[in-house]
Amino acid sequence: MFSFRIIRSASAAITGNVVRRATSLKVDPSQKKSLSDFGKYVADCMPKYVQKVQISSGNELEILIAPEGVVPVLQFLKDHHNAQFAVVSDITAIDVPSRHYRFELIYNLLSLRYNSRIRVKTYTDELTPVDSCVEVFKGANWYEREIWDMYGVFFSNHPDLRRILTDYGFEGHPFRKDFPLSGYVEVRYDDEAKRVVVEPVELAQEFRKFDLESPWEQFPAHRSKPAAEDVAIDK
Amino acid sequence: MANRVAIQKTVRHVKPLISQNNQEARSRVFGLYKAWYRQIPYIVMDYDIPKSVEQCRAKLREKFEENRHVKDIRVIDALVIKGQQELKETVNIWKQKHHLMSQYFKETQEPKPKDFLSKFLAGQ
Amino acid sequence: MASAAAGALKRTTGLTGLAVVNNPHHRLTVLYEKIQRVLAKMPADASYRTSTETIVSERQAAVQAEKDPVALEARLGCGQCEELIVQAENELVLAKKMLQWKPWEPLVQQAPGSQWKWPI
Repeated sequence: MFSFRIIRSASAAITGNVVRRATSLKVDPSQKKSLSDFGKYVADCMPKYVQKVQISSGNELEILIAPEGVVPVLQFLKDHHNAQFAVVSDITAIDVPSRHYRFELIYNLLSLRYNSRIRVKTYTDELTPVDSCVEVFKGANWYEREIWDMYGVFFSNHPDLRRILTDYGFEGHPFRKDFPLSGYVEVRYDDEAKRVVVEPVELAQEFRKFDLESPWEQFPAHRSKPAAEDVAIDK
Repeated sequence: MANRVAIQKTVRHVKPLISQNNQEARSRVFGLYKAWYRQIPYIVMDYDIPKSVEQCRAKLREKFEENRHVKDIRVIDALVIKGQQELKETVNIWKQKHHLMSQYFKETQEPKPKDFLSKFLAGQ
Repeated sequence: MASAAAGALKRTTGLTGLAVVNNPHHRLTVLYEKIQRVLAKMPADASYRTSTETIVSERQAAVQAEKDPVALEARLGCGQCEELIVQAENELVLAKKMLQWKPWEPLVQQAPGSQWKWPI
């Protein structure tokens, strides 16, 4: 109750004798140790596919793999006695056009048995197909359709790859960084044609000078440590 | 000869989308064209669009001709995949009449002014 | 006698779609032997093989030592006997696939320079 009234400065505020530090994530060293040990274990079991292992935000284990290893690594994480990551909680992608392979695919898995989460990352570009992991996780079906729709990443061997969010006839992949904020087309009802018509978007003024500043942290400013720390694996 | 070998070695090796060579990609394109061509009478009937079968076939040809310049096998494959998905959406009547009409026959769109005078009249 | 009594008493696993198994010891033994046979085909220094062999032989020993399913479950601490069977089946399928994938080989492809650099 009392703490609500404190005006916080960036790092610490003093009220009476009590020094209140800005809230920050507390990292449990034993949890971190066990996560990095497990990361090493995965890298050790599958040296063919694992490129790098890292821990981000202090307690999130990330396995960075070559795109050939999507199915083997996910199958290993799902079926191995020591892993049992049986739930695919999310699959998504990010687009970084400056990279050699511009898309990064991210698989978030959950192990109910060991109460643990893991993130598997790989990469691809517009024309390089990635193996679909629907044969491993049934729930991956719609996530992969979403990535196909939003980013245009093609998943080979997907049982039913088609659009999921955009309208029929929609062209382009909206989550790509080169897709304009205002889109390419606009839709309206036409009285003469007696139907909905789609026309190229015409704005009186292009979007500009908008304040896109977020009140939250903008990286890489104010970041003293790197976003993730590496876990050493033997190669 | 040695020159040619050197050039071939510098070419980036990439994973094929589906087709392994040019021939295969070409036959996929023809397959897609034929599938559309055969479906057009049914599409015209099902959607009740104010176009004849001939007009639709001319439009089909036009759409394929638009991409005639594409030479990269993987780009061809990507286009063919998208074309197959569209065909499926159309044949299964997931689309509606206006999707077909505004996607392919852009009649309500006014053509962009090209020469100076029309640009001036359009206020640009 | 104890195992028969426990088996007779157990009506459900409490998990949807997972039926009670009356002869868990037999099923587990067979599965663990199968896994061992598949693992034997892998190179001896493959890390996947050694670690999986350790897990499986540990469980095999437990299955042999504890005749009562409840005691077995308590000793392994990894769910009910039925879940242990599912885990063993999964491992068996995985081991067979691993024989084809050969994940103990050296890295297929190194990521291009700044692929994993973040923030960019």
